[in-house]
Amino acid sequence: MFNRTRSYLPILTAAALMAPGLSHAQVDTSEWVCEYCPFDSGYRADVEVGASYVSDDAARFGNGNGLDKKGTEANVNGAGHYSSDGYQLDWQLSDLGIDSRAASIEGGRQGSYEFNLGYRERPYRQFDTTQTIFSNSSPGMLSVPQGWVPAGTTSAMTGLSSSLRMLDIGSDRQIMDVGAGWTPNNRLSMFANYRHQTRDGFDIGAGSSFTQSSFLPRWIDFETDQIDVGMQYSSDRGSLKFAYYASSFSNGNPSLTWDTPYNAAVGAEQLRMAQEPDNDFQQLSLSGAWRASVWDTVLAFSAAAGNGEQDEALLPYTINPNVAAGALPVSSINTKVDTGNYAFTVTSRPTNRIRFKFGYTYDERDNNTAQHDWVRVITDLFDSGDIQQNTPYSFDRTRVKVSGEFRLFDSLRLSAGFDRNELNRDYQEVAEQTEDTGWGQLRWKPFSWLDLRARGGTAERDIDRYDTTVAASLGQNPLLRKYSLAYRYREFGELVATVSVPDKPIAIGVTAFVTDDEYTKSTLGMTESDEQRVTADITWAISDNASTYLMVGQETINAEQLGSELGGDADWMAQHEDSFNSVGVGFLWRQAEGKFDLKLDYTHGNGETDILVTSLSGGQSLLPDLGSTLESLRLEGNYRWSDRWEGTVELRYENFSADDWALQDVEPDTLPTVLTLGADPYDYDVWAVGIGFRYRVGSVSD
Amino acid sequence: MRLITLVIAAAMLLVLTAGSASGQESGYSRKGADTCLACHNEDANVLAIFRGKHGVPSDPDSPFGHGQLQCEACHGPGDEHAGRVRRGQERPPVVRFSADSITPVAEQNALCVNCHQSDTGFAWHGSGHDDNSVACADCHVSHTENDPVLSAATQPEVCFDCHQQQRTETLKPYAHPIQHGSMACSDCHNTHGDAAELLLVRQSVNETCHDCHAEVRGPYLWEHAPVTEDCTTCHNPHGSNHPGMLSMRAPMLCQSCHSQSGHPSLPQDERGLPAGTPSQFLLGQSCMNCHNQVHGSNHPSGSKLMR
Repeated sequence: MFNRTRSYLPILTAAALMAPGLSHAQVDTSEWVCEYCPFDSGYRADVEVGASYVSDDAARFGNGNGLDKKGTEANVNGAGHYSSDGYQLDWQLSDLGIDSRAASIEGGRQGSYEFNLGYRERPYRQFDTTQTIFSNSSPGMLSVPQGWVPAGTTSAMTGLSSSLRMLDIGSDRQIMDVGAGWTPNNRLSMFANYRHQTRDGFDIGAGSSFTQSSFLPRWIDFETDQIDVGMQYSSDRGSLKFAYYASSFSNGNPSLTWDTPYNAAVGAEQLRMAQEPDNDFQQLSLSGAWRASVWDTVLAFSAAAGNGEQDEALLPYTINPNVAAGALPVSSINTKVDTGNYAFTVTSRPTNRIRFKFGYTYDERDNNTAQHDWVRVITDLFDSGDIQQNTPYSFDRTRVKVSGEFRLFDSLRLSAGFDRNELNRDYQEVAEQTEDTGWGQLRWKPFSWLDLRARGGTAERDIDRYDTTVAASLGQNPLLRKYSLAYRYREFGELVATVSVPDKPIAIGVTAFVTDDEYTKSTLGMTESDEQRVTADITWAISDNASTYLMVGQETINAEQLGSELGGDADWMAQHEDSFNSVGVGFLWRQAEGKFDLKLDYTHGNGETDILVTSLSGGQSLLPDLGSTLESLRLEGNYRWSDRWEGTVELRYENFSADDWALQDVEPDTLPTVLTLGADPYDYDVWAVGIGFRYRVGSVSD
Repeated sequence: MRLITLVIAAAMLLVLTAGSASGQESGYSRKGADTCLACHNEDANVLAIFRGKHGVPSDPDSPFGHGQLQCEACHGPGDEHAGRVRRGQERPPVVRFSADSITPVAEQNALCVNCHQSDTGFAWHGSGHDDNSVACADCHVSHTENDPVLSAATQPEVCFDCHQQQRTETLKPYAHPIQHGSMACSDCHNTHGDAAELLLVRQSVNETCHDCHAEVRGPYLWEHAPVTEDCTTCHNPHGSNHPGMLSMRAPMLCQSCHSQSGHPSLPQDERGLPAGTPSQFLLGQSCMNCHNQVHGSNHPSGSKLMR
């Protein structure tokens, strides 16, 4: 009797604990009127008018932000929001006065439909120390100055120094986005996005005239149109997504013709090269997932089939009327590439301690372009006499990944996995390549404030054989092994530690990563490389209003390669050592109820590359350091006079200097057979200041 | 004795369901968000939910849509939390979304995925972020008008919290303009997971790069084999010490694969600097002084990638 009565206790206790687990549908929300909920409704906006001043010209400083020229620019920023009864409209303007301007508007009725329209500019600034003799006399045509006297070498060009003019190298990308989405119900959604990109400006090309070459400031005129449309159906158990993607690129200058500044054979005074051809790509994809009720299993798949084409009209073999190269086999190569990407993954948790994952992917690029016989006119000068066939490269890649995780304790998880990556190629030295990777990982959280993760493994990339007949047909030394095709043995390891200091709002993160590659079967080419990276950061929330951080990073990447100047075994070696160190520190003060916000960031970066070449002909030779040093300071402050008025100030300081032997002291006439643009390594010291006054309309909040 | 035991059991039930006594049997509060706001009505961080997408009552799928569970849709039943507690007794917690939350990451994420299944839920399973127990709240802020991770200007700092190595790389002298805020990590990566490698937005590395660099897509008449396969064979997209984000300085990079007799096989050293005999194979753009069409050529005479 006594035992029977005791049994009520667990039953009643369980009933009480299960009560919160009742389903959503069983909750009586009839009295949930939300009368104290400050739902968003009405209109609010802020507009900021100001000006920015840049202290000096510096192309690199303005790369991405458009602040590359000394001077003052007016600027406008703003944002607005309107909402009523679920309808919303947001607009945003930023940096209207400078070359990184952007404007966007988006709206709709949440949960039903939405639309967006956006425009932004992205400046790419490369050099502002470049000078050239060439001028664009017409699109796709670069001319030497009137009266130019050609010569055999750059130093003999008598009119060179007087003909040089400064020309910045850089371009502007304009991106326009239009998109819409429709959600007829909570299971079905559809989307359509269109993007139009243009890019125009000057880029550096190089045109060769057999033993000589000229850097060509070519005018680029690119346009790309992209469409992404699709629909998705989702249920509690699964989802299915069907999408179509298309991209079309067109080049306003499909060829580049230039006057050679060098002495030229009769008929070869003008030379021509092809530029990036118009091309199209489209792709259909179907992806989906299904969650099984067994073992919390999720099966996912993806299948995509694409097609790329290019049928730009081919240029003639040469524009030299004195070279009889004959007719082209076709007027357009009409290249056709089919792509396929197929993936299948299964993840499963048989128990809450065990997890398995299986992944299979198959990717292919099938180049169906017809092969033809082509003669080759060498730099518009003479017929090489060779007949060559174009090589439409194709490949397929199969990857299988299996991994498992076992939670030994709540604080300790062990995982291990195996990956196989098989790659088949044609027309290349290696037809079949297989890489097997085994790895293990331990994740240990001994205390709530400490999280450790250690991972390591090895990977062996093997090949069926290195076909030296293919290499020989390309004139390669048969002992060379291209590093992307060669046998490779890799060891890697990673350690990640995250510490949340107990009872202190301080977080520390440390990451260390090493990898070591050995190309033990390569007689020539890359023979070994290794990489070490260490990063750490500390963040400290000093108070509710203030926080600070410190971050450091250090990495080295070393590579060693062997070569042969005598065409046999290795007789020279190059050791290439890259290193990069960075330090960042910042402070943020944001007073929710106050008037003053402040953000300060300082960054220091230092890169260095040492290249040591040891050869029979030159002995041991250490090239000068390739170095760069960046010091960057950014200060942003806001001061609120009232609910409506706010003042903003932004100060940026950047000092950058570089040593680069490829550019240093290389004037347009330094190389006898290459007429360069004489670009200098980056070296600037710039500060920029922006001030603005912001006025808010509509409802005001903190 | 039996009666006494039943009384004790009933009393225990009353204690265990003390919160429910004033609310619902389900453990949810009696008045939903109004219950919560009775205390949390001055916390700007809490009230910011009404400026974001979660606080839209006209959206039937929003937590504040008709018949939805309002605050408790995400934070779980809150009647106990809102009920009376004895002096010195800790208030029963609700589900919280933060790094220091006692709610396990899997439970936090399950609550998010419950509604966001259609756009993220399934692909998330087995993704790198899922494997490493990343919580939705590690990246997203829901109580805000503008979630920092959804803006190009502020997103990288969110990602760099964990991806410190990539942050360091973006500071290198040649990098995509991520530090300027004019490019976001999500321009290339689909952080919620996808079938593509490296969580890329397109099906492959090359297709992702071609989104912005369609000019090098080809297919060309004369292809450069590694270009057709993987842009990262030569480029490091997160940043590099070398122009063009090349993984190594030319000519060494090119000589890793090219050994043809003549100039490709010659060592390039300090003899070729301006102070010596300036070498066209070393200075300027090195190999690309002449072989400028490294991504491929569409010129009939361009098999050596010079035209």
